Amino acid sequence: MLKRLWKAFQGTRVGRSIFRVGLPANNLERAQAAISSFLLHMQPAKVNRRVLKFRTTLGLGLISLYLFVILTATGMLLMFYYVPATDYAYQNMKDLEFVVTAGQVLRNMHRWAAHLMVLFVVLHMCRVFYTGAYKRPREFNWVLGVMLFLLTLALSFTGYLLPWDQLAYWAITVGTSIAGYAPVVGQKLKFMFLGGHVVGESALIRFYVLHVILLPLVAVMLIAVHLWRVRKDGGLARPDEPQATQEDLTPAQLPVTKTYGLMELARGTTPAVGINPEDEVFTWPHLVFREILLFMATVAVLLVLAIFWNAPLEQIANPVHPPNPAKAPWYFLGLQELVAYSAFWGGVVVPALLVTALVALPYVDRKRKGVGVWFSGERKVALTMFTICLSVAVVLTVIGTAFRGPNWSFQWPWKPVHVEEHGAP
Amino acid sequence: MDTPLRKFYPWFTALGLLVGGLVIAAYYKDQFREWKTWQREYVKTELARASTPAQRADAARIPVEIRQFVLPELDRVDRCTSCHAAVEDPSYAGLRVPLAYHPNHDRHPFDKFGCTICHQGQGRATTREAAHGHVEHWDRPMLEMKYIQSACGKCHLPTDVPDAPKLAQGHDVFEKAGCIGCHKLHGTGGVIGPELDKVGANRSPQWLLTHFKNPAVVTPGSAMPPIKASEADLDALTLYVLSFTGEPLSAYYVSMKTIPGPAAGRRLFEEKGCLGCHSVGGKGGNLGPALDEVAKRHDPAWIVAHFRNPQAITPGSLMPQFDFTEQETRALTEFLLSLTDTNVIGFLKVPGAVSPIERGKAVYKKYGCAGCHGADAVGGIPNPNSKTAQQVPGLKFVSEGYTKDELMKRILDGQREIPKMDPNKPPAPLYMPPWRGKIAQGELDDLVAYLNSLLPKGEKVDF
Repeated sequence: MLKRLWKAFQGTRVGRSIFRVGLPANNLERAQAAISSFLLHMQPAKVNRRVLKFRTTLGLGLISLYLFVILTATGMLLMFYYVPATDYAYQNMKDLEFVVTAGQVLRNMHRWAAHLMVLFVVLHMCRVFYTGAYKRPREFNWVLGVMLFLLTLALSFTGYLLPWDQLAYWAITVGTSIAGYAPVVGQKLKFMFLGGHVVGESALIRFYVLHVILLPLVAVMLIAVHLWRVRKDGGLARPDEPQATQEDLTPAQLPVTKTYGLMELARGTTPAVGINPEDEVFTWPHLVFREILLFMATVAVLLVLAIFWNAPLEQIANPVHPPNPAKAPWYFLGLQELVAYSAFWGGVVVPALLVTALVALPYVDRKRKGVGVWFSGERKVALTMFTICLSVAVVLTVIGTAFRGPNWSFQWPWKPVHVEEHGAP
Repeated sequence: MDTPLRKFYPWFTALGLLVGGLVIAAYYKDQFREWKTWQREYVKTELARASTPAQRADAARIPVEIRQFVLPELDRVDRCTSCHAAVEDPSYAGLRVPLAYHPNHDRHPFDKFGCTICHQGQGRATTREAAHGHVEHWDRPMLEMKYIQSACGKCHLPTDVPDAPKLAQGHDVFEKAGCIGCHKLHGTGGVIGPELDKVGANRSPQWLLTHFKNPAVVTPGSAMPPIKASEADLDALTLYVLSFTGEPLSAYYVSMKTIPGPAAGRRLFEEKGCLGCHSVGGKGGNLGPALDEVAKRHDPAWIVAHFRNPQAITPGSLMPQFDFTEQETRALTEFLLSLTDTNVIGFLKVPGAVSPIERGKAVYKKYGCAGCHGADAVGGIPNPNSKTAQQVPGLKFVSEGYTKDELMKRILDGQREIPKMDPNKPPAPLYMPPWRGKIAQGELDDLVAYLNSLLPKGEKVDF
């Protein structure tokens, strides 16, 4: 019944004008489905079978993108309620929790999606590294990825302040003071971000504008270029040597005659170069359906998180009453841990070196070895170095998050030290 | 449809159901709200009570919705009535909370005061736990009812509120214990301890009570001596100190500060120096008529009108026109009406009729000297490692060691360095703060007169 109605609608002038192609019934229409749709044309009409395999990418980049979409949607809805003023911001959070329909769920989804996005962007980066997918011709796309990673951190960090509670206030105070350790420009930079020497009204409005306009806009543009280059660089990275030869294919799959459309021609490792095009499948439905399923799974996980765990909200920001310890957002706690040893090394040298190393990586590691292969034995040195850096970062972050108590002294996470508050009220 | 598509169907079905189910779960969780239960209960009760069809129709029309008092002047939104839906309905008097009537709200109408200004808690919250403030990250849970009178002290003077005897008692203990000798309150007081202006907002009753009994337990290293008073007095003191919340009041609430009652009237009567011209019970001046039986000569309306413009009522009157607020005028009038009761007169402080020693005693109390030198200046307050027997010295024999001028100088300049008993130990925590600029010359004269009077009888006064 629904199917017939849908078919009837597609048959009308209006239906045709919107969808152009109906539900594809043959290969021509399948190709057209991908090419003529705005959303789907980001992908070629046909993709390599490898792309469909979950282990090729683990869906990490796509999940990051989905989280960005969900964050945009929930963030937009939250903007209908939020007032970026110190007198109202915290009260808005309370109203979202207590009187706005679905307000708490919305905020929870936004919060958890933001944390997950940082996590998945990092995981995506690890995937690209461990499969050697940043090598020629994809070097610059890796650099774009690093920029997107930094943007993700900036988006999360600017959003962190907006609830205007103790957690927000002191995390931003700590975070921006890490920026202040940079030589010469540090204090100026801090002043520019905060619009003053301490976190206050001007910092809130700056962070808000960055969070809802500037950074998302830049992110959308960079994401577009990032995806565009994936497409133009011949899809997902894969080993140079053809995986399937003509002999591997059954006679039934062999082409009798074959012509190639423009969409199948791209630079580098393309479907048309050195490999039988019959190792390919149509994007619609094989890839598109999998992508939709992954989106549904992402939404489902987020909904579970949002239903069962509320986003944190502490007391209203109190500039004269710092918590002990005051901690930056979790993804900066590795840095804060380093800062505890040395402000200059932890706050300036290490982060600067890290970003430089990440950007330079594809230009230094130039040998086309192990592309498209997980943990290729040909890249032992690169793999070892990256793994060591990653482990150190993870260990420092975990220590900073779970093992640091009052005055940044060591504590076991299951035996938190409580400091009674003394002194003047 | 080609065959490979079919394998997606179970996945789409499963994930579709999962997402759909989760959305429904989220919606249900959002739609189920505690306050709705109580409002339905309220509607049900109203329906059951309705006896005529018209009443039933009215009851059925009661909406189930968030109810709130939005009070921008008090910087709060109180949604308590979302559950406590019957607070304004007297027919619910004595019924079970939350659907019970709130007595005595006529003087503090909800739409002007809300709920949390007195009861505390979290006004914006709409669940029981969160609204009553018994949740993590909410520092001001609901005030226990035994301390509720402290709320009166947020706006009114502690001695003014006839219905808050505990507040007045706490105020009395506060003065007797000499707290402001070390602590500053509303701009007056010493600097040895921290300021108290907002301490009621930052500390819990339990903290305060412990602090009074044994300061060092909650504030290690505190120099403050324990306050020796009965349990009831300490409780009253806690209640009084809880009223120091430092919440700013907007113009409307300030204008309502004075309670139009005999207590506030008497305070104003003394403060404004009415006895300079009028007399009561034979005490006071004789420029104006005696006021003992003013209530018999004039009705209240006449007195009120006279306060507003004395010359309009009594042409040629010498009485100045005071700028009393409406509340103050009513308070003074009520006090004047109460003057026929001779008991009241006995308590009146009459300037000039009191000896300097008596006044000095009041000054001693006013500036909290008792906090360190003890009640009646007997001493005995510990001050570890001070040369004077590790105690703050009593002042009984002060007239033997100081001339009047020396004593005045000592009070004005204070003594920051207290000689040590053991030079290797840390200095004594308590010291004499300078009172220059804080104490008036007249007060100082009276204080010295009082201190010099303390020498036990039979001892020589002068050297």
